[in-house]
Amino acid sequence: MAGNPACERFIPLLSPYIDGELPPAERVTVERHLTACRDCTGRAADLRAESGLLRVGLDMAVDDVDFKDFAQKVMARVTPEKPPLLERLRLALSEMFLYQRTAMLSSLATAAVLVLVGLPLLLSQRAPVGYAGERMTVKAIQPYAGAHVAPVVMETDNGGSIIWMVDEQEAPDANGGGARPPRDEADSEELGMEPDTQAPGATPAKPAGPGAPRPTGGAL
Amino acid sequence: MPHKLATDDLTLVKRVRSGDQRAFKLLVERYQRKVYAVALGMLKDKEEAMDVSQEAFVKVYKYLDHFKGDASFYTWLYRITSNICIDVLRKRRGGGGDPVEFDETQAVDLSEARIGALGSRLGTNPQKSALRKELAEKIQEALATVPEKHRAILLLREIEGMSYEDLARTLDIPKGTVMSRLFHARAKVQKILSDYLELDEAKSGVGGE
Repeated sequence: MAGNPACERFIPLLSPYIDGELPPAERVTVERHLTACRDCTGRAADLRAESGLLRVGLDMAVDDVDFKDFAQKVMARVTPEKPPLLERLRLALSEMFLYQRTAMLSSLATAAVLVLVGLPLLLSQRAPVGYAGERMTVKAIQPYAGAHVAPVVMETDNGGSIIWMVDEQEAPDANGGGARPPRDEADSEELGMEPDTQAPGATPAKPAGPGAPRPTGGAL
Repeated sequence: MPHKLATDDLTLVKRVRSGDQRAFKLLVERYQRKVYAVALGMLKDKEEAMDVSQEAFVKVYKYLDHFKGDASFYTWLYRITSNICIDVLRKRRGGGGDPVEFDETQAVDLSEARIGALGSRLGTNPQKSALRKELAEKIQEALATVPEKHRAILLLREIEGMSYEDLARTLDIPKGTVMSRLFHARAKVQKILSDYLELDEAKSGVGGE
């Protein structure tokens, strides 16, 4: 069956024929032979089947493989390796100590001074609790001597001032309320003195001291 | 269906050269499957094929400056891949000795194979779903019997569908050599596969339901 001497010449051409790689003239010759030769038609069909089988078979084998990390792994190999951040910091610091010891030590000392001086400063500049403005700090309290009702002025660092009206003779809760009896009556009752016998100027004006009423963060 | 045209290989190569690593990742993703398939067909070992595929891409990256750009990027990539595979096979043989080659002056005897057996069993384009795992393994076995240089040509032709011109450029051999090597490789694989199918047919005939 395979003994057709004409086939010998055509068999090697069947492979480039199925690949579409024959020049037009040769292709026509092969096709003419194929129409007349059943064996070579079968051989060409075998070659096509084999080609398809290889393609599909290899494709199947590749389908089993997970390529999810493939590109990542290649990229990791071609990208210069970077040590972890901490390691890099440690290396950089140790290099600095090696080569710039004095500069490093002096900058560390500066940093320490900054921390020691700056931190208490930062902490001391806190606004008192209860005063709405956060930048507000009471700088001074000035009691006015010789007045029954003494204003207490508190200056704030943003230019404002808070004035408290404080009754000199009252107990610390001076801002108790407005519905109190007149002041001199209360005095005479408490001290057992005639209000006429004493000059108003002699009323002891307590200096702002330990007995002075302290303003608290009450309602203004 | 509108299809977004992918950036061509040479543009990506230029981007890689100017320091764009993502462009190289795109090239890897574009060719990883086919490079692996070539390596697997050459080496028959999955892990080795995976290592070689990675190695091929790493080498491509390393020598990208040597890539002239006068040939296609993929012919260069496959040349590197098949060269690494051939090196691995050489080491496997123990370093020495030439690989077995076909005597291409001898006429190929196809009379042993039953003409038309493969074609009648499989048709011209076997479907993946119809192909059994066993047969897929047999294909790799059959490939292993083909001398490596012939195997490389056959694989590049079937997997990448390379033209004879590209095959000649990739493997640095004349086009005539491509044609004859391909023919011999196919004859060898065909013989093994048709024998296997014939045996299989006989077996299933005996033990049939």
